Amino acid sequence: MVMANKGVFQAGFNENNQEFIISGKLRPSNEIELESLLRGIEEAVANVQGRFYLNVKRLAYINNIAFCALHRVIAQLSSRRLDVQFVIVTSSVLGWSTRKFSAIAQRNDNVAVAEYDTEFYPGQSFLEDGGFIPILRNQTRLTWRHERDLLTQHGLQPGTDVADICCGIGDFAVLLKKEFDPSRLLALDHSRSSLEYARKIASDFGLTDIEYVYGDAAELLIADNTFDFVTCRHSLQIFDKPDMILRELFRICKPGGRVYVTNEKNSHCLGEPRADSIQWTYSEVAKLFSHFKMDVEYGPKSGRYLMDTGFEDVKVDTFMVTNRDGDPQDFAAVIQAWEDVYAGQMARDRGDSAEFIARFRQGFQDHISAALHPKGYAGWPIWAASGRKPL
Amino acid sequence: MCSESANELIEVSMRMDDFSSEWMHCDRISSYIARLVAQDRPDPLYYENLFSSAMNELLETVYLNHGSEGDLTCRVRRMDETDVIEIGLPSDEKTSDFYTDVVSALDGRDIEDLYNAALFAAGQRDARLGMFELAVDYKAKITVLTSSGRLTLSTQIAFGGAQ
Ligand SMILES: C[S@@+](CC[C@H](N)C(=O)[O-])C[C@H]1O[C@@H](n2cnc3c(N)ncnc32)[C@H](O)[C@@H]1O
Repeated sequence: MVMANKGVFQAGFNENNQEFIISGKLRPSNEIELESLLRGIEEAVANVQGRFYLNVKRLAYINNIAFCALHRVIAQLSSRRLDVQFVIVTSSVLGWSTRKFSAIAQRNDNVAVAEYDTEFYPGQSFLEDGGFIPILRNQTRLTWRHERDLLTQHGLQPGTDVADICCGIGDFAVLLKKEFDPSRLLALDHSRSSLEYARKIASDFGLTDIEYVYGDAAELLIADNTFDFVTCRHSLQIFDKPDMILRELFRICKPGGRVYVTNEKNSHCLGEPRADSIQWTYSEVAKLFSHFKMDVEYGPKSGRYLMDTGFEDVKVDTFMVTNRDGDPQDFAAVIQAWEDVYAGQMARDRGDSAEFIARFRQGFQDHISAALHPKGYAGWPIWAASGRKPL
Repeated sequence: MCSESANELIEVSMRMDDFSSEWMHCDRISSYIARLVAQDRPDPLYYENLFSSAMNELLETVYLNHGSEGDLTCRVRRMDETDVIEIGLPSDEKTSDFYTDVVSALDGRDIEDLYNAALFAAGQRDARLGMFELAVDYKAKITVLTSSGRLTLSTQIAFGGAQ
């Protein structure tokens, strides 16, 4: 069941997870305009058992007229169906949402509010707390050398509207700003600590016109067809549902514009000498991430996923970051940051044994030695892919 | 008082007759202004969303409570973290009584109770609800000025910046 009102809001019930979803904008002049919506909720509740979810994560606006109506219906239904637990799912991205709906929960015993986007992705906590910052800071420095030219080949033009989704600490956005001077540059992430860091760096560099935005890549509050070029780097590989993110990237991209993604295939990191130990460790990295439902082997699959999402003119490139690119110390610092997080918190959380962790760490150390060895070679392959949204 | 140091960001006006002929004007004006004033804030989308929510409540209140002849004006001025939304409207005795009464209620100790009572009222909608919400949830400071058939509703509001 789907209902809509003048393209302003959408609502529908998903029976499989007993979830009623309302999205868009609810600003009616009176309750009568909401009649079909309210009836829809009543009918949905009539058929549920156990838990009923009212998902308002993407309900961007509600006026008090609609809120009161919604409250009245939920209060009635919840007092009638004491056997059902009502859960209102809100989003932390909207400043008013959790607070406002919590008032309903406070007044009705079997109604609760859950702010979901923060708990939504497995492994998300690793990426969102401060531990990842050293990794990201070092990585971008190394990849930029390759990507600067690639971006042009993938269609990025100066003076256009650009968004970097899952921007991390925002260093890529700063580089984009300097090199391509976009007319608009929005950088979005779901980590408040990273964004704070990003804003500080930008202001240190005197860059005032990068819009650093808190948001959820799976449910962007950005209008359709907004940007000429949308980037999403090293991030599809960390979601368990990357296709959801890709659809959002597609949606916010203008027809004729392009979406550009980079991803890794971690098991293919390599080095000499001690190739075997290095290879073993990186195959284990891939397994470790997949334990947390993240696919760091995504790189070579990215072209296919872009096509499946509806992009055309899909281009796929690979480049290898190596110790020979510039200062080998920079590469060694990246590897050390990987070891710290992967063999630290992540391996611990998976419950790995001390022996495993020791061997796991050894591969990173061998990779560092290879990077710093005057005759050594250390490599980290990356897939850059982009596609055009059809006109 | 603080108008000297405040930055004027935008002013729009239209005939009250036109404004009050179509409910969606509230939404359109608040969306338009929110988008504009949010641009310079650290997290523009977050700010825009809150600003539009607050401004829309004000406009809906005005839509339902105003005098007849004259213009609606909306002006936004900025003082650091705070924005001041000034809405000018034609006013008669009933209109000015309404706004003056609401504003004096906002200073009372029981404003949270009043807000909750209005929010969860069983019967008719309470016309003061939008302004109560701004005062309680957004800690807005709302004042009213009247002079010769017009009224200015001034709302100082800060959204705590982006988090
Ligand atoms: C591996 S990092 C890549 C960051 C950056 N693009 C780079 O290359 O340096 C993944 C980023 O995705 C962010 N992230 C995780 N879940 C997200 C979500 N639901 N919405 C937006 N960003 C999210 C994390 O906070 C993290 O900054």
